[in-house]
Amino acid sequence: MTAAEVAANSRIADPSLAPEGEQKIQWVARHSPVLNRLARERLADGALRGRRVAVVVHLEAKTAYLATLLAEAGADVVAAGSNPGSTQDSVAAALVARGIRVFARRGVSREDFMEDLLAVADTAPEIIIDDGAEVTSRIVEHRPELREQLRGVTEETTTGLGRLRAMEAAGRLTFPAIAANDAACKHLFDNRYGTAQATMQAILRLTNLSGAGKRYCVVGYGHVGKGLASYAEGLGGIVSVIEIDPVAGVEAFMDGHRIANREDALADADYVITATGGIEAVSRDDFALMKDGAVLANAGHHDREIDVGALEELAGPGEEVRPGVSRFVLDEKRIYVLVRGALVNIAGLDGNPVEIMDLSFAVQALSAHHLASNELEPGLHRFPPQLDREIAQTKLASLGVELDELRPSQRAFLEQWTMWE
Amino acid sequence: MSMITDPALAPDGERKIDWASTWMPVMNRVRDRLKEEGVMRGRRVAVILPVEPKTAYLAATLADAGAEVAVSFPGVMVHDDVAAGLAARGVEVFARRGSTHEEELGFFEEVLARRPEVVIDDRADVIRLAHTTHPEVLETLLGASEETTTGVLTLRAMEADGTLKVPCIAANDARCKYLFDNRYGSGQSTVQAVLDNTNLLLAGRRLVVAGYGWVGKGVARRARGMAARVIVSEVDPFAALEAYHDGYDVMPIEEACEVADVVMTATGVRRALPLSAIERLKDGALLANTGAVDDEFDVAELRERALETRIVRPNVEEFKLEEGRSIFVIGAGVVVNLSAGEGHPVEIMDLTFSVQALSARHLLLNAAEMSPGVHALPDEIDEAIARDKLDTLGLRIDRLTDEQQAFLKAWEAFA
Repeated sequence: MTAAEVAANSRIADPSLAPEGEQKIQWVARHSPVLNRLARERLADGALRGRRVAVVVHLEAKTAYLATLLAEAGADVVAAGSNPGSTQDSVAAALVARGIRVFARRGVSREDFMEDLLAVADTAPEIIIDDGAEVTSRIVEHRPELREQLRGVTEETTTGLGRLRAMEAAGRLTFPAIAANDAACKHLFDNRYGTAQATMQAILRLTNLSGAGKRYCVVGYGHVGKGLASYAEGLGGIVSVIEIDPVAGVEAFMDGHRIANREDALADADYVITATGGIEAVSRDDFALMKDGAVLANAGHHDREIDVGALEELAGPGEEVRPGVSRFVLDEKRIYVLVRGALVNIAGLDGNPVEIMDLSFAVQALSAHHLASNELEPGLHRFPPQLDREIAQTKLASLGVELDELRPSQRAFLEQWTMWE
Repeated sequence: MSMITDPALAPDGERKIDWASTWMPVMNRVRDRLKEEGVMRGRRVAVILPVEPKTAYLAATLADAGAEVAVSFPGVMVHDDVAAGLAARGVEVFARRGSTHEEELGFFEEVLARRPEVVIDDRADVIRLAHTTHPEVLETLLGASEETTTGVLTLRAMEADGTLKVPCIAANDARCKYLFDNRYGSGQSTVQAVLDNTNLLLAGRRLVVAGYGWVGKGVARRARGMAARVIVSEVDPFAALEAYHDGYDVMPIEEACEVADVVMTATGVRRALPLSAIERLKDGALLANTGAVDDEFDVAELRERALETRIVRPNVEEFKLEEGRSIFVIGAGVVVNLSAGEGHPVEIMDLTFSVQALSARHLLLNAAEMSPGVHALPDEIDEAIARDKLDTLGLRIDRLTDEQQAFLKAWEAFA
């Protein structure tokens, strides 16, 4: 496709923003050693040449770099955002300037977002790198005929895997899907360190408030919640955790946090951060429990973790008192919601740190390559553990770190089944 | 008449100032008290502090209490919208982002021409001017209150050689200032500024803190809280031992630079990080200054040394030292939380600026009886601020019983 054709077959906000986006992509390239070494080397075998690949992940610089590497490997790439609130228009423009088709505009309505995703679907992708199964679920629902040419999907998030499992249970997952999220090199780092650091940064950046001495209520103690709790402590905060899962509850307790019921945990919280991956983690009845000045932020998956719609019904439309900070007044108490409940680390800042996404997207790049190189059975698949190990080894090598090795006697001990004498 | 970039930016600035005031409950009490007392009415006060929302609220508070307030600061730490918002509130502002050194000198002269009775100063910049090129100002100047560790050192040096002609309160040395502002305020906001501007990860990274004073302690603690591996460089043996016992690696700066992913200077000393140490940094290292002195590493010298420089992201400049080895300076070598961020967290400045407002009040009431030289903020003022803060946080503390007090005062062996 010529540059003009790429531009004509894209839908972005403003092509003139490309230089700013290009700068961001180059910064990412500099700090992505795993993508630069391992992924680039593996992708160079031609398996992706001519393959139609759709990248539908929060459209910011790291995602753009992943899309670029796939295109460099010969894939016919089309990109879109997995959430209109997180799309960076400058990055979208830079991608188009790099010759990749993009359907993404920041802040568009649900209808326009749907239209962009269906435009991606209509390019009949063979491989989809998806986030929240946003485009996969739309294909299954609205373009079922396109499933035929789908070699496979590789899914980025816990939430998306939930949707794919539900799809499988309903007998609708008629193509292979790889649980990229469950790769060790993804969820152990991205969800815990990446989201936690970026979320704390975004909250402090948007509000210019102090983290020290504050009470944090973390809703959900999965990998994201664990990271949030640990970083909140690192900022000098005191953490309460709300959980529904008894094992996660015990983990939170053993980690030294207060595990409390909703009423107690919300009542004294300065910051309430949702990380459940579900909906209505903070719901209609919860707002009245909070104290004056509470700040609410969402680090989970859906814009709906904090039920802002219900809050609007209770307290009116709210007022934006700082960029990204909406104030609602409920029974004379001020409640502040950051970026109206969208993902605070992505909508309120530049998203997760580059080095973290280097790992996550190395998983995605190799996952896409795996789908291109192999005929997999329909259904959900693990990300190959060998590739996971190679990614971790490449990361360590880029850090100049050496590991120990088992001595033969140690290995023999581990491998024998008889009692040790 | 204010001299600012664009008065039309006032609404944005006013919103930021309003936001700050929401989170400054102690200042709000100070404001009510000053208004009621009338101490400030008609008094001329100069506020020489970074023009950002919290400082603006201090200036606005003094103006609200009846003072004639003039504000100025060098441009790299000026938020133009806040300057406009402040001007709209009836404070004279002489500050523009990106101003030249000559313009800044002109701005300071405008402030001095207003013949301030009290100067709230930063790094003793304006006090020095008043004692050198503008001695006429000293005729009407009652005293000054100094914000920074560095400025207090300067004032003490002036005192030692007999130059200092007015009483100055070392506001920095108030416990409600340095224990919180320098440690928690700088700690949080400088680490944050480095991360916000780079979108990089701190976990697992080796972060070198040059200087383990209050700021260095705060930076080290927050960096560790974000899972960095912290190394401290010091010249003071006690501070180095503190760092050791806090669980950090301690090593000379030149060695530390060889392994550093991030270097943050917190020394208050010019060229604390010499070019010879910077030369040892590895490719991709980040460099930021968290101290009050702009030249803790010499950016001009570094620029001369570099093969090539370019801006790679807003507030991030690449210095290519050789082919394949570049380092990145965040915030142009000027205190990074203000040059590349919004400054300290609001609640911290609630304490700091309560100190400053009450320090100005103290000078207006008592300067006539104070000797020229450096004075501490009276303990009872400092303590009252701490108690107010606890009160606004809803926290209560204990009191010594009479028996406990007696024990502490007794010198004979306890029976």
